[in-house]
Amino acid sequence: MTRRAALAGSLGLAAGVGTSLPFLVPRYDRDRRPACSRVAILPVAEYSEKLSGSLWEGLELFNLNVTGKSVLLKPNLVDYIPGAGINTHPLLIVGAAECFRRLGAKRVTVAEGPGHQRDTQLVLQATGLEQHLKEQRIPFVDLNRDEVVKVRLRADYSRLKHLWLPRTALEADFIVSMPKVKTHHWSGVTLSMKNMFGVVPGVKYGWPKNLLHWRGIQQSIVDLVATVPIHFVIADAIVCMEGNGPLAGSARRLDRIVLSDDPVAADATCATLMGLAAERVPHIAETAKFLGNTSSDRIDQLASTVISPAVPFGTVPEFEHLRSSPRAAE
Amino acid sequence: MALEPTCLALLALRLERRANTQVLLDTQHPDGSWGSFATDDEASGLTGLALLTLNTLGTSPGAATRAADWLLGAKGQEASWFWKWKFRTTDKRVRFDPDKFGWPWEPGTCSWVVPTAFALLALKQIFSCCRKGKVAYRIQRGVEMLLDRACPNGGWNAGNGIVYDAAMAPHIDATAIALLALRSEPRNELIERSLVWLEHQVCLCPAHWSLAWSILALDAYDKPIDSLQHRLATLAEPDETCDTATLAVVALALDCTASGNPLEVVV
Repeated sequence: MTRRAALAGSLGLAAGVGTSLPFLVPRYDRDRRPACSRVAILPVAEYSEKLSGSLWEGLELFNLNVTGKSVLLKPNLVDYIPGAGINTHPLLIVGAAECFRRLGAKRVTVAEGPGHQRDTQLVLQATGLEQHLKEQRIPFVDLNRDEVVKVRLRADYSRLKHLWLPRTALEADFIVSMPKVKTHHWSGVTLSMKNMFGVVPGVKYGWPKNLLHWRGIQQSIVDLVATVPIHFVIADAIVCMEGNGPLAGSARRLDRIVLSDDPVAADATCATLMGLAAERVPHIAETAKFLGNTSSDRIDQLASTVISPAVPFGTVPEFEHLRSSPRAAE
Repeated sequence: MALEPTCLALLALRLERRANTQVLLDTQHPDGSWGSFATDDEASGLTGLALLTLNTLGTSPGAATRAADWLLGAKGQEASWFWKWKFRTTDKRVRFDPDKFGWPWEPGTCSWVVPTAFALLALKQIFSCCRKGKVAYRIQRGVEMLLDRACPNGGWNAGNGIVYDAAMAPHIDATAIALLALRSEPRNELIERSLVWLEHQVCLCPAHWSLAWSILALDAYDKPIDSLQHRLATLAEPDETCDTATLAVVALALDCTASGNPLEVVV
């Protein structure tokens, strides 16, 4: 071996250790995995007024107790690009609000802090969500400009230690993450856990919330979801996105919504539905160690079984390794 | 006290006796920067907006000088040799020239359009003539950064023009703020294209914040704004999503013909 090869090998090893180390050492406060998680995959062929009926039937499978609780619905509202399905559909959001009111919630609020677009009102108006919210008298909070509180993080993958987070999110009794199922050019996938980047306030961290990128997107996701609990997931997997998501990818239909009481189980299920290997997505793999379940023997599938598509979702080249061979997971 | 709404409100109230910059003086950090809110001990990317506000109100030159010094020292992380090298050689997914840098939202992160535009407005205003040395260098780099990060067909978003070979869409407010910062620069094709894009988009814009910023930018470029002001004035009453910052920029936009445009920095 030449000295040059040895040096290159050492540098490569150091770089590999540097990249992997954050995920080799446990950096969470305690194991909070439930004994068993529940997931329901519901077939839904279109966005229509019937959506809330389907959602209600799905929610009934979980026997959720939200009576008297303040429920915060956190959709994925990234931006408005005409013709591009990049956001959680407004009909799913208002349908969820209707269901949680019917379940006895004291208050249902929709809240989001878009990552790039500073004009949140423009996103609400252009997507048509504002009109729906007004008609149903559902309050909306712009998490980018909400009052903030400094919070100690309950995991330490990003080395951030603390984040300033919006009071509205911290004071909610029951947080529902409502992602749009998409591939993502920086994080591989954007599902219920990546969706929580929207609670990080732009007023402090800017547009985009670039500090999270510099500290590692995967690491920041883990720290964030360890700190701000996701109590339930309603994922919009009716029309999804593949390729150069979250903004410039192509539409891909799955014709489903995915419900779960465990964000890790939800994201693992969604990844499988996309034909992607959940265990290769670092933030899913890491949260599976302490926050939720990915193992099939600890997930009750309450409705349909998880089937991977014949052709996995396309990704950018950096995430080609997520594409698993076609198979039925269960 | 959040920095952006406070600054925009002070600018909107600049002709009123009630406009008192004491709150800015009380919250300025010893190094000259401001936090995003009163209890934030880190520097905000909107320090440029705070300096612009202080300078426009013409108070506290000492505080303004400290802020300008801080701005001249602050820069996006891509300005460091290591990151410049990395963005040139291995991390080329976002197309940009790391030699052209401006100001970040948070220390230790990349330059972005809005903080860079506000820093440029503030520095151009406070150093309105005889720019030499570091002042001239930082303003030049900042202008180059804005031109470099524009979207391919004109306009700006947060600062990613092309990602994985896909052109990103511009945003109305970021485009307006960037155009304000470039007002005193030689008009080039990109600026013209961005103006055309903004004029087209604003015709359909239903949101107070974006419409108001567009009016301020188009006013600075001597474009007709009467009908836009009329539309802004007749938009439905701001609801709960309309915050203080939005109200302030709306007031600035509605009043810019009568009382002048404090976001227009002409040198």
